[in-house]
Amino acid sequence: MALSIEELKAAILKKAETAPKPQLYIKDFYACDPDSKPRVVKNAANDLVKEGKMMFWSSGSTTMYAMKDRIKDEEGAGGVN
Amino acid sequence: MAKHETPLLDELEKGPWPSFVTDIKRQAEKNPDCWDILGQVELSYKERITHWKHGGIVGVFGYGGGIVGRYSDMPKRFPGVEHFHTVRLAQPASKYYSTKHLRDICDLWEKYGSGMTNMHGSTGDIIMLGCRTEALEPFFYDLTHNLQQDLGGSGSNLRTPANCLGQSRCEWSCYDTEEACHHLTMHYQDEIHRPAFPYKFKFKFSGCPNDCVAAIARSDVAVIGTWRDNIRIDQAAVKEYVAGNIPGNGGAHAGRDWGKFDIKKEVIDLCPTECMWMEGGELKIDDAECTRCMHCINVMPRALRPGADQGATICCGAKAPILDGAQFATLIVPFMKVSADNEFEELIEFIEKIWDWWMEVGKNRERVGETMQRVGLPTFIKVMGLDPIPQHVKEPRSNPYVFWAEEEVEGGWSRDVDEFRARHAA
Repeated sequence: MALSIEELKAAILKKAETAPKPQLYIKDFYACDPDSKPRVVKNAANDLVKEGKMMFWSSGSTTMYAMKDRIKDEEGAGGVN
Repeated sequence: MAKHETPLLDELEKGPWPSFVTDIKRQAEKNPDCWDILGQVELSYKERITHWKHGGIVGVFGYGGGIVGRYSDMPKRFPGVEHFHTVRLAQPASKYYSTKHLRDICDLWEKYGSGMTNMHGSTGDIIMLGCRTEALEPFFYDLTHNLQQDLGGSGSNLRTPANCLGQSRCEWSCYDTEEACHHLTMHYQDEIHRPAFPYKFKFKFSGCPNDCVAAIARSDVAVIGTWRDNIRIDQAAVKEYVAGNIPGNGGAHAGRDWGKFDIKKEVIDLCPTECMWMEGGELKIDDAECTRCMHCINVMPRALRPGADQGATICCGAKAPILDGAQFATLIVPFMKVSADNEFEELIEFIEKIWDWWMEVGKNRERVGETMQRVGLPTFIKVMGLDPIPQHVKEPRSNPYVFWAEEEVEGGWSRDVDEFRARHAA
């Protein structure tokens, strides 16, 4: 039986906090609940971004999800100059 | 006054064509930050390596697309391009906009961004080049509240749908491309503004097989107008063309004397399926053989018109050459009625069937065309709930084996060996 939305969100957050990579594709979250349809998982992940609990990281062509405190902030990263 | 020496870029101003270097220099007189674009690009030309870093967490609240983060990796040397984010604005259907709207957008961009633009991006968006992170939200607020202009798509989103001029200007359009594009744009706002897929997804709408938005080459779902009855022929107009009283191609090649119009040489012999001929002074077409190349209609528009039973052909899976080279879309549905009367229900059902499958089966960063290639067309057709038809066949098969699926074989894979041996001794 599929998880409730709140349970699914909690599972997504746990995955985002503990995964070895800080940035995750939406498909990486499908395993949080194999019984939930991909579109339900996507909606839950996007809700977490709206709630400010996760961030989108976009390369321009692909979008990934991340916890803000786990990803490199390009603006604070400076440069090689 | 130039801030950096740019001898390599200056070479690009010497040719006969307009130069982006000249454009940037002109803009730099207004916005000195633009000198740093030239400085950084000059350095890249010299060192043969990019100094742009792309990607990041930048965006506007509530949206997961439309902004592409871009930074300089030499911010101290080129502070004007330390942040140089790209903002994509949704182009209006068919790119109909007033000059006032364009001026307003440009004024806004000069206020908040570098003033540099790219009209238009490959997908059609109006591209604003160069904005600092802190200016994104104020720009977005003014854009949406004062200009009623939305952002376009980026990332793993549905990209801004695009269409040809359609029935607004073109007599060949077999369905209302503008209505289809607008309806689907509004229907899929969530997919355009927030990531939904393993990778980008595009659909484009062309009104006829001339395919003026190149949907077949550029979109995951190409909706290309067509007809399923016969090309409409006005034999009196055919005679006028043959007599030279009406110029071919609507007079498009009138700048040079091509000699007398020759219907055999210019139309009949160029038909790719050789389905046309003259008989008793009349043009005949074997419509069953017509592959909708549009050449005859393009040459003699006053004599020939698309048929009256109109709709669209749906092709899937075009893409640019990141993996396995570029590919055209593959024909999946030869004819579908595309109509606002039922709110494009059949098309929407088709698109969502692809999405449901691709979201599950598609790998990360895999376009739907690549997924189709990986699993094979027979599997894709089965997923879509379609029966194979001759139009799906690209070439005669070279593999002599037939691979049956279990459900296609009576009794499946299980069998009674004793019963078999009773009839066939070992």
